[in-house]
Amino acid sequence: MTHLSPDELVDVAEGRMDPAQATHAASCDRCRAQVESMREALRLVESDRAPEPSPLFWPLLAARIGEAVRGERRPGAFAWTWAWRLVPIGALAVLVTAVGIGISTRSGRPGGRPVTTAAARDAAPRQAAEPAAAGEPADDPSWLLVSDLSADISVEDTEASGALTRPGGVDPALWQLSDAERSELTRILREELTRGETAVPRGSGA
Amino acid sequence: MSTRAARWPAAGMRPDWTLIVVPSTQDESGCTPPLAGLDDRALVAACLGGRVDAFDLIVERHQRAVYQLCFRFARRHEDAADLTQDVFLRAYRGLRRFRGDSAFATWLYRIGVNVCLNHLSARRPRQTSLDDAPPMAAAGEDPAVSIAAGRQSARVRAAVARLPRKQRATLILRVYHDLSHQEIASTLGTSVGAVKANFFHALANLKKLLAEEVI
Repeated sequence: MTHLSPDELVDVAEGRMDPAQATHAASCDRCRAQVESMREALRLVESDRAPEPSPLFWPLLAARIGEAVRGERRPGAFAWTWAWRLVPIGALAVLVTAVGIGISTRSGRPGGRPVTTAAARDAAPRQAAEPAAAGEPADDPSWLLVSDLSADISVEDTEASGALTRPGGVDPALWQLSDAERSELTRILREELTRGETAVPRGSGA
Repeated sequence: MSTRAARWPAAGMRPDWTLIVVPSTQDESGCTPPLAGLDDRALVAACLGGRVDAFDLIVERHQRAVYQLCFRFARRHEDAADLTQDVFLRAYRGLRRFRGDSAFATWLYRIGVNVCLNHLSARRPRQTSLDDAPPMAAAGEDPAVSIAAGRQSARVRAAVARLPRKQRATLILRVYHDLSHQEIASTLGTSVGAVKANFFHALANLKKLLAEEVI
């Protein structure tokens, strides 16, 4: 004789049995005893009523949850709380790239990749029109730092990264920098680079 | 014709812009529409649209069930209240993950069971508290009967607390929250067959535990 499976015993104990199960449960002592045992356990569990809190408890609990929820950011909103950390890094990257490209465009450094972007096209006529003044930025040693940093960055990559948001928009800004501003820019870049080297020692993993 | 008008795409041409409609939290008169008549899914949508007060209504509707669930696991009022708050906070944080495949209550139960089981895993077994003590007899009730019923309740709760986690969760959801086997399967992330097997073993183990006098 095939006895009822646990699934079937549950169905019978809960009163959801098909005729075949009912017939078997009525005739099989073992299965009937199991069903009775389960029903007794169920009665005991069901008899336990959890204590009901005071009616005043619910508004207090709701207020407490509401207060906690209002301390949270809106669900699904982008977590900008950490994004500010990327701002200095992004700003530095854009600055280095933009300055480097500006210098490359103006000085026509040997070995530099040919510049064919709209920014370069915009810059070219102006470059030709401007007289070669003394103290040319490309001759300034402080600019070599910036130029070296950006030597391996192509204009195409820069455009793809979004650093060049407006064709020709960077070059005029660079040309308009005074000597003092360029010195300050160089100082900031050196400071950031020094900080980066301190944070990540070169060759430490070798 | 102005320059702006001249740029407007001619009839039949596909515009090079996309119109994005963002649901407003205000109606045409500038007032916030009432939420009370909305179902849970609409309240979730309203909440995701920026109306935190929609979540207040969700809390109001479900806090009793969530509290009762937490009480069954924690067996102490203070813990149950803390866990209830935790459940709703987690639900709020993950509201965007509610896809409406199941009822909101089922989704909430799933969070509740996880929170409660994590809570039980993190804490050490506690001793019997005042909440486990027999309740005082109500007016007009025989104190002896009341005390006996209280003791019986304490024994049952202690036995339920000793069940394995899945059996315990299945028993609580089935007996005290009247969830169907299918709903329990959805809540616990298992099959209906597994739910029935867990329920069967939970009742069998409970019978054994209650028969022991060491509880």
